[in-house]
Amino acid sequence: MYTFFKRTAPALSLLGLALVSCQPELDDIETSKGSADFTRYIAVGNSLTAGFSDGGLYLEGQQSSYPNLLAQQFKAVGGGDFTQPLFQTGQENGSGYLRLTGFTSTGSPTTANVTTNLAVRDRVVTRTSPASNPQLIYTKYTEPVNNLGVPGIRMSDIETKGFGNVASTGGNLLAPTPIFNSYFERITPAGSDQTYLERVAASNPTFFTSWVGNNDVLGYATAGAAASFLTPLADFTDKNSKLINALTANGAKGLVATIPDVTNVPFFTTVGPAFRATLAAANVPAIVVTTGAFSTTPGTPATRKSIPVTDIRDANGNGKQLFTLTASPYVTLFGRPNNGKAWRDVYNQARTSLPPTITLGVFLAIQGVDTTKAFGASAENPFPSTLVLDDAEQAVVKSATTAFNNALTAKANEKGLAIFDANAFFSRVATTGIVSDAVNNTAAFISGNLFSLDGVHPTPRGYAIIANEMINAINAKYGSSIQTVNPNDYRGVRFP
Amino acid sequence: MNLKSLLLAGGALLSGTAASAGGYQVTLAGQKNNGMGGVGVGLSLDQAAMFYNPGALTMAKERGVQVGVNATIARQAFRSQYGGPQRELKNNVVTPFNLYAGFTSEDRKFAAGIAVYTPFGNKVEYADGWEGRYSLTGIDLKSVYVQPTVSYAITDRLSVGAGVVILAYGAVNLQKDIPVEGAPGSGPAHVELDGKATTKIGFNGGIYYRPSDKISVGASYRSKIDAQVEGGDVKFSNVPTTLGSRFTANEFDATLPLPATYSLGVGITPNEKLTIGVDVNYVEWSAYKTLQFDFRGNNGAGGLVSTSGQVGGSNISVSRREYKDAVTLRLGGQYQLTSGLTVRGGASYDFSPVKDGFVTPETPDADRLGLTLGASYKFGKFGVDLSGQFVDLKKRTQTEADLVANNTADRVAGTYKTRVLIPGIGLNYTF
Repeated sequence: MYTFFKRTAPALSLLGLALVSCQPELDDIETSKGSADFTRYIAVGNSLTAGFSDGGLYLEGQQSSYPNLLAQQFKAVGGGDFTQPLFQTGQENGSGYLRLTGFTSTGSPTTANVTTNLAVRDRVVTRTSPASNPQLIYTKYTEPVNNLGVPGIRMSDIETKGFGNVASTGGNLLAPTPIFNSYFERITPAGSDQTYLERVAASNPTFFTSWVGNNDVLGYATAGAAASFLTPLADFTDKNSKLINALTANGAKGLVATIPDVTNVPFFTTVGPAFRATLAAANVPAIVVTTGAFSTTPGTPATRKSIPVTDIRDANGNGKQLFTLTASPYVTLFGRPNNGKAWRDVYNQARTSLPPTITLGVFLAIQGVDTTKAFGASAENPFPSTLVLDDAEQAVVKSATTAFNNALTAKANEKGLAIFDANAFFSRVATTGIVSDAVNNTAAFISGNLFSLDGVHPTPRGYAIIANEMINAINAKYGSSIQTVNPNDYRGVRFP
Repeated sequence: MNLKSLLLAGGALLSGTAASAGGYQVTLAGQKNNGMGGVGVGLSLDQAAMFYNPGALTMAKERGVQVGVNATIARQAFRSQYGGPQRELKNNVVTPFNLYAGFTSEDRKFAAGIAVYTPFGNKVEYADGWEGRYSLTGIDLKSVYVQPTVSYAITDRLSVGAGVVILAYGAVNLQKDIPVEGAPGSGPAHVELDGKATTKIGFNGGIYYRPSDKISVGASYRSKIDAQVEGGDVKFSNVPTTLGSRFTANEFDATLPLPATYSLGVGITPNEKLTIGVDVNYVEWSAYKTLQFDFRGNNGAGGLVSTSGQVGGSNISVSRREYKDAVTLRLGGQYQLTSGLTVRGGASYDFSPVKDGFVTPETPDADRLGLTLGASYKFGKFGVDLSGQFVDLKKRTQTEADLVANNTADRVAGTYKTRVLIPGIGLNYTF
């Protein structure tokens, strides 16, 4: 036996060696920076740039913000350190956010607010935030940052003095002045009136991304076109031009993203289809809504509009009228007499911008609302406009989006910048979805992986896919080959 | 490095991994044939003729009992389209085996025997967290055929044979992660399908003709068997409780075709000591159109009212395979060096049945080149057969765009490269 062992031993060890050399090796993908210089990357934008998700800004969202993912990929081609105003441990839940708690017996998601470990440092009363509901301000982060994403900022805000100063509380109703932005306040030194544009101009990037403008239409749309306002095109064009000029002043290269069509996001596509099905099953032919802004003139009630049930947009895109995600608790009240919940809530929201003499009773009288009648089914007690984005309002949003996007792309082309057409991309995602390694990601609420629980802001997975599209646009423009990220390394909606 | 540590290194590596050959076919049915590029249809080497060509069984020079076992050790590299580290398989070894017992009548007119072999099988286990985890984390497919065989020599140059092919044992275990996110720190949601195939019957047959002492030709056929799992187990782990109603199935049904094979072979014997064989196999892989799982049963995870048979909110899973028929070319020879020692060599080229853009993690197939070596030593009535194969699969890449275009986006985008080493040993006793 020993002899057998001795004789076969060389053969066996040869086999061992053969196995070592048997393991194939595949080369890593080669990367290069092309004609761009990623040494100092600055990200300019709003909530999308900050990594806002689930209705809040918190550490996990910040860490998977698309600028952070881009910076991580830029590292392989000479990118420098990328600093974000991260919430610290112990305050990692930042502003607080929504989490999924489960589903009702009918399959509707239920959510709850995360209220622990917040970074709230104080509460401030402003013109629009009364003592009963003050504006929160957050633990300051005044070290230099590369991610200048400020949730809520509009293109129209970039030259507003005191936009980051807690002293800007908005004056009063008769003489309104600008109100500070809590997230810009967070990263601005105390007492400074520096504008966002000045902050950007001082950032001195070698490479930048700029994605501003969503809020110039989004606020108007998410309020069902009843509140907020659309930025005038001339103002938008002018400020965008200043922004890009500031970013490119030292010859930086960069990327500009366009504004997606907000009507493709789950915020507008989730409630309507289910409500339509419920109404159809109950043989309801039509519902009544108000359209446009609420009335401020006694004797001229808010405009009523009857919407045939077949005109509510369903999952297949039939029908035109959209319900907001915020309409979810109200649609179940349809047809109930003596139900004023929706209008009471509308009044409470609008209250701060109304003279103190306008009580709930007066407000309802001006709108011509009688809440004893069947809710949503009668002209006397219609759905408030804030819950519905009707086709006329959609057309306004769409044409503003198109005009803004034309301004964004014209300026980007003038400066020879890369363009991420987020509008075209999200339209495509809404129709076909996007696959990542056997996972189908769609624009569906909760199950689609891409949109977080607020129905507007992406999940980490959604941000990863945005980063990849931007990388593709950068590679195409600057001849670089930067590796994309694996979307599946980033989560969709978390289920308990 | 001394001999002992080399041995230890070799020994540790022997506990390596596994793969299939041409789809999920395994062509390791005879230890002598294994050393000769897998030829055998036009030859009558030994009892393994029952597999290669039952018609040649009466012409086998030797009769007796033989057993062989192989260690299939696969090494694979995968790189995702999205970059990241090279992924390698967990190291497993699968051991396809073969067992033959044959008896030939005194006048060499009749022969009968029984064969046990593993014509199909596949075991692949991917590293944790690899990019294709939502497509597959591991598969273990086993089949054992038992084949009673008879052969009859019509003349001393022409013989025929046939066997009843019984799928005596078949089992599949398939696992993957489910793309849902649970609480932070909870492991990945996972599903395991595990089932046994029902016993099925097919047949094989062959004809063998020796026009001269130096030339022999053969043809053989083995029929298709549909391996069918009824009521296999569906097991979920780590599925978030709020999604219970979408994951209620506890049983599945599935069918996997084990395709028919046509083979032609030529044997050339220029002298007593030298034998050369050339084979062509044609496998009807086109039978494999889709892999479908039907789910049923209710594990109660979604409460009493939830719909039964749900896996991810659906009671069926259909995945396109669309295999094409495929050819394997084989060439091999043996030379008798001394009265006891015979040496062998050969090569094969296996055209993959898997079309571009259809490569799945469970069968990361590509055209493959095989190189083989073998040797036998006889001690009187006993003989030992050693064989070694080295199989190199072509590098194969598919992008997410390819997958979407082919409607095969249920698999992973990236590049595969696989090599397989298959040492084998056989023992035989002739009388």
